[in-house]
Amino acid sequence: MRRSDPSTRLAITGIGIICSIGCNRTEVWRSIVESRAGIGKLTRFPGETFPTDVAAEVGEIEGLLPIDGREARRMSRSDLLAVIAAHEAVSQANDGATNPLPRERAVVSTGTSTGGLLEGESYYFDRLVHGRARVAVSRVLQQPTSGPSDAVARALNLGGGVLSNATACASGGAAIGMAADLLRSRHADVAVAGGSDALCRLTYSGFNVLQAVDDHPCMPFSAERKGITLGEGAGYLVIERWDDALARGAAILAELCGYGSTCDAHHATAPHEDGRGAEAAMRGALAEVGAGLAHVDYINAHGTGTLLNDSAETKAIIGAVGEAVPASSSKSYFGHTLGASGGIEAVISVLTLQNQLAPPTLRLDVAAADCTLDYIPHTPRPMAMTNVLSNTFGFGGSNVSLLFRRA
Amino acid sequence: MNGVAITGIGIVAPGAVGVEAFRSMLDAPATAVAPIDRFNTEGLSAHTAALVRDFKAKDYIPAMKMRRMNTLSRYAVSATRLAIADADSRLSSASGVALGTAFGPVRTSVDYMQEYVARGAALAPPQLFAESVANAPGSHIAIEFDLRGFNITLTQRESSFLAAAMFASAQIIKGTVPSAIIGGVEEVNEMVFSVLDRLGALAHAEGELSERMRPFDRRRNGMSIGEGSAIFVAEGRPSRQPYGWLAGFGIARDTTATISDWGTGDAQVAAAMQAAIDDAEIQRSDIDAIYASANGTKRGDLLEMRAIHRLFGEHVPPVVATKGCFGEYAAGGGFQLAAALLALRDQKLHASSGFEEADPELQFTPVTAPRAADLRYILVNSISAGGGVVCAVVSREQA
Repeated sequence: MRRSDPSTRLAITGIGIICSIGCNRTEVWRSIVESRAGIGKLTRFPGETFPTDVAAEVGEIEGLLPIDGREARRMSRSDLLAVIAAHEAVSQANDGATNPLPRERAVVSTGTSTGGLLEGESYYFDRLVHGRARVAVSRVLQQPTSGPSDAVARALNLGGGVLSNATACASGGAAIGMAADLLRSRHADVAVAGGSDALCRLTYSGFNVLQAVDDHPCMPFSAERKGITLGEGAGYLVIERWDDALARGAAILAELCGYGSTCDAHHATAPHEDGRGAEAAMRGALAEVGAGLAHVDYINAHGTGTLLNDSAETKAIIGAVGEAVPASSSKSYFGHTLGASGGIEAVISVLTLQNQLAPPTLRLDVAAADCTLDYIPHTPRPMAMTNVLSNTFGFGGSNVSLLFRRA
Repeated sequence: MNGVAITGIGIVAPGAVGVEAFRSMLDAPATAVAPIDRFNTEGLSAHTAALVRDFKAKDYIPAMKMRRMNTLSRYAVSATRLAIADADSRLSSASGVALGTAFGPVRTSVDYMQEYVARGAALAPPQLFAESVANAPGSHIAIEFDLRGFNITLTQRESSFLAAAMFASAQIIKGTVPSAIIGGVEEVNEMVFSVLDRLGALAHAEGELSERMRPFDRRRNGMSIGEGSAIFVAEGRPSRQPYGWLAGFGIARDTTATISDWGTGDAQVAAAMQAAIDDAEIQRSDIDAIYASANGTKRGDLLEMRAIHRLFGEHVPPVVATKGCFGEYAAGGGFQLAAALLALRDQKLHASSGFEEADPELQFTPVTAPRAADLRYILVNSISAGGGVVCAVVSREQA
């Protein structure tokens, strides 16, 4: 069995993103630079009686689709968000290159938590009213969490395989890590990897009944933080082996150096208070590059805004890389996009390295006593950055940390 | 290190709990597909499935913990306890967990939405929400057995389990973890069953033809679905004589597949099989048997057989279709690997349950009765509706 050799360098040649602060990488980065959040009043589910009504929603997407309407009608919203972001990433990877991506050896690896649950809910409600025999099943064909990967592969005609990671909020990061191994072991030549999730009633209600949602826009690492803001969106990377990207004449945006994946083995929904699993994940990502890494310059934190996460993650960061490394939460812009967060924040990390500008943590006036790092409050910070870690953690104590390097 | 040893197997299956009971079911061969008494199938075309019965989770999980688990988690944690006992070893806490499930916690989500409707969005039970994520079973396994390595859950339809096995094996080979729990878990529920029925995917009675899953049979008209969990203890350096070794994997996608059916891209399916053979560093002619993905669907079985013919030409090795025993999706696809490993251990091929009449279009006959065989390498296929393909080679000895 071929080994995934960490010394095989991986190039990121395309990025695509859609979330509440923009429908492509240019719009998203402009919002980041202008410290403009995309959090507002929840509009998706009028008439529902949730205890909170704040969300980071993506608006109308019909005009953004790179596929025809007939095909789109059979896809879930999570699928469509995925197709938009993946199409942007693949287009960039082909732009200006001497040779196009070898689609027949391109694997799609997607993390998603809800998949087509939004459409599944509508199907469920209609069944209650009309009975199971009278509701069209075509509406739930894409309910399984395999939907976004299948949709991207079908829309872009990719033949290298499909993988769907449903590891709660760590899904997107895990999907990217898995793609890295497939490339390094030469099971695929290209990976379109990331995450996608649409807002749905079940998750909006569920996080509320867990009392994990802030009734105002989330305030990661703040003394006043009360929980998350739920968001939606998708983010994808195109990843290739470094030498293949050079041979193709592709522009290399950043390097994916490694990833670490661990479990707290502690609680179904809460992180271990000492952040032991998160620290081990960051150490795992750093271990993949061995002694070649001098330091981490910035951490795109998981930073959800919950009391438990931000405290545990702070301890984990201190344990893994020390107190001096700045860390911020871009969820303060576009909320917690659940299974998509690993993909979306990987794209933010690549943009951070390209622009040498670290995104801030918005609305952070006073950091909590248990949050003792430099969280880059309010405005982006120009910084010289070579190595960036991106953290994503999820229910069940799953932790993934990705390590990116400036190209 | 070349290959990953499987040193323990835990089974919670329709018709069998424990690996030796599972072996007896395969040897018979018996089918666990039977009329459904769990939910109402009135008005549907299909009325049978392979359901787990005669299983008591309390035999494996303390009552206090069991209350926090949904059915999927109970199946998976119980099967893990059986697998670790079977391996007769204590796993390092550095071990990882990788599970596959095709549909995951659909019933839990439906239960949550029922409460949502009945009590309101603000008052649904938080415990149901916690169990509504697909990785809840993997999380419970990690907590119960203190496993702190990777913990991931893959959901790639019929290929879910083999995809998880591929990921975990890569981690062990890479040296990230010394060992892992690899597994699959599934639950049959009314929502998934009725949707598959409405799509025409399920085996059903047709004139004189009784309702039965008939892999590779001329009269096949759909699959029967199953549930349960298969869990494997995977080790880089085996602590005991292993059942066999995961020796290689291949992955591809049939780009001709439709959203809910199989396509006609046999070249791409064959490429995944060849990739697994290459990864195992063996030749096509080394494959002694194929444990097929065949599930009794018209297009799926035809696609797989064309791919097998394309790859092996005139020298097709014996092909075994085991899903007639326990149904499609059962254990997320994990029972198929368990059957292949038992075949290696016992040097005996299983019968293809449900097959009776050869299909001229397929130009072959699968193994119809159990028989002794000299088995060193077995190819295991999983071919999904929608186009995903993952194949594995399992070997008797370490390469």
